[in-house]
Amino acid sequence: MNLEKVVFGFFVVLAATLNFGFFIGDISDPTLHNPYELFAAVVVNLIATVLKFGDRTQIGAVHLATSLVAVLQLVTASLAYGYAEYVSSAGMDAGWTASVVSLSAGALLANVVSVVLLVVETVSFHRG
Amino acid sequence: MGNPLLTFWKNLFDPDDEDRRARRATLRVAAASSAQAEATIFLVLRRMRAPLIVLIVIFAVSVLGLTVIPGQDVDGRPTRMGFFDAFYFMSYTASTIGFGELPDPFTYNQRMWVTISIYLTVIGWAYAVGSLLALLQDRAFRSALSLQHFSRKVSRLREPFVLVAGYGRTGELLGHSLDRLGRRIVVLDHDGERIDGLELDSYHADVPGLTADARDPGHLAVAGLDHPSCEAVVALTDDEEANLTIVMAAALLRPELPVIARVTSRALAERMDAFGSPSLVNPFDRFGDHLRLALRAPSSYQLLTWLESGPGGELPARGSPPRDGRWVICGYGRLGRELSADLRAEGLEVSIVDPAPEDDGTPGLRVGDGTDPWVLAQEDLDRAVGLVAGTDNDTTNLSLVAAARRSRPSLFLVARQNRPASAPLFAAMDIDALLVPSELIAHEVYAQLSTPLLWRFVREMPERGDAWAAGVVDRLTAVCGTRLQAMWKVRLTRREAPALEQRLAGGSLRLGDLLRNPENRDEPLSAVTLVVLRDGESTLAPDDDFVLRAGDELLLAGRPSARRALGTALFVESVLEYVVSGRRVPSSWIWRKLTSEPAPPG
Repeated sequence: MNLEKVVFGFFVVLAATLNFGFFIGDISDPTLHNPYELFAAVVVNLIATVLKFGDRTQIGAVHLATSLVAVLQLVTASLAYGYAEYVSSAGMDAGWTASVVSLSAGALLANVVSVVLLVVETVSFHRG
Repeated sequence: MGNPLLTFWKNLFDPDDEDRRARRATLRVAAASSAQAEATIFLVLRRMRAPLIVLIVIFAVSVLGLTVIPGQDVDGRPTRMGFFDAFYFMSYTASTIGFGELPDPFTYNQRMWVTISIYLTVIGWAYAVGSLLALLQDRAFRSALSLQHFSRKVSRLREPFVLVAGYGRTGELLGHSLDRLGRRIVVLDHDGERIDGLELDSYHADVPGLTADARDPGHLAVAGLDHPSCEAVVALTDDEEANLTIVMAAALLRPELPVIARVTSRALAERMDAFGSPSLVNPFDRFGDHLRLALRAPSSYQLLTWLESGPGGELPARGSPPRDGRWVICGYGRLGRELSADLRAEGLEVSIVDPAPEDDGTPGLRVGDGTDPWVLAQEDLDRAVGLVAGTDNDTTNLSLVAAARRSRPSLFLVARQNRPASAPLFAAMDIDALLVPSELIAHEVYAQLSTPLLWRFVREMPERGDAWAAGVVDRLTAVCGTRLQAMWKVRLTRREAPALEQRLAGGSLRLGDLLRNPENRDEPLSAVTLVVLRDGESTLAPDDDFVLRAGDELLLAGRPSARRALGTALFVESVLEYVVSGRRVPSSWIWRKLTSEPAPPG
């Protein structure tokens, strides 16, 4: 067992699960989408991205690319959330909630690709 | 190439010949070297992982804490900070800007948390910034950056350049003479100080330099071995083995390139000869040849050293070495062997002194320390005519020269200077013939690279005899004084001398008629023709009656003004007409029609 692999797998899966937790629920109902979960998803995704720095293999490059996509989407989602909460006069209404959640859904797709890559990497690893 | 269709296509339309294979091989080695640079950048990214993660975690924890801890607004109602407020507050607090407590004054509960997070974030920032600065100082990272910078500079070169591997004293001298000719060079040396010194050197053109081991073909490829504009490779490192590797790499990867290498041992010279036909410069061998030439023909030697010193070179004094008598050689190393063989071939008597010679079978060899007065006394310096101080130690050489001069002032003294720092001492000694290996090599390589015509002149000149050489020296000094001025090449082709075409076809154009001042044709141009090359046959220093023909190549030495004047005569027909025949011809078409002079005889 390799501790580095454990940490790496942990963060990649945690990024996907947090993202999924925020996404699940009626897309336009703000009460079903907890901002703390979005915050956690952003932080864990950032950590997962940094963990993927400096891997020279082909699969490592794709890993980094998917993570960057997820971070981009999640940061955009939180910006939209902040705009709705503090700037927009309408507040967190159904439309804004739908935008934030659909952006996080895009990030979820990227995170799913990341998890699939992780699984593929593990399956194709031959011992000895 | 991953796509099988593309591979098939390439095989079909791109037949593999020798050249292409060699080119691909160089591309591969260059790619390998640049991949090395990329690897270092990945390493840097990897090393930034830990500080970045620490920073993210500290930030996340502090922001989360601020949003969770209850506060109160100005009216005392309980409230909580939003994510945006918390992130905003932490951003300016962590970067020590500190706008104060926003949006509302904090409660004591919040202030406790902020105190903790301030210390945490300061540690996080300090760690991250410190690691980044340490990485920027990292040697591997910096060398990777400079490698990338260097390869970008080299690949952007669009004019022909010479690749100089080994930038010691020799490389520096050669670089400056080539630079004065307006040629570009690219430099490779394993000593970082030499490469850093490039920036302080006063070159006209930018000289890309890389601190790298020239024995690695990858580094050679990055330095432009695979570049189409690379015109020659010069191996000047002080390591014979490294020079051999450079010759090998150049011969295998770019067989068509001329290679010049410094070599001092015969065994390595033979090994280098196995790779193509590199032109080898052995300073000791060449010095022996020069000394023979100086003994036989002092004026030829004077002319040779003057021309090889390049533009701006001072006319060396004409020595008068003794033609017969006994020579004493101190130091029987590589130089001693070459010189004793050369002097014996001249029919001179030679005796040798060496503290520990490798073979004792040589006639006239005496084992002993040359600096020992008793040993020198046994050599009967009173009856000798010349002394060679040829050890590889400058102090020994200087004391040998001093001792010999004291016992017999009229002795012809030959000395070898090993370190550049000793130059002023040897200059103060006023030695008759001084060997400075680095300068000798630089001059030889310069003569070969500057123009093939000069190299031809230098090689064929000794056969013409001493009196002839003295005549050429007199003509040159009459034209440019004691300092060598410009040296340039003229090719009498339609492109480079369009005005001359008709006259050349007539076959009556004399060299003396062409080299006249366009302002006043009674004055000859201040330039001397050193050599004319026609169909592979060269004529050295032709006189004024030499008849020129189309396709001739001329090497001229003289003042820069003469170069400009000759250039005008070669391009402007009216100027040429005046220079050759003395007739002033109107240069515009209308005036020519109006004056309607008969056409010049062709």
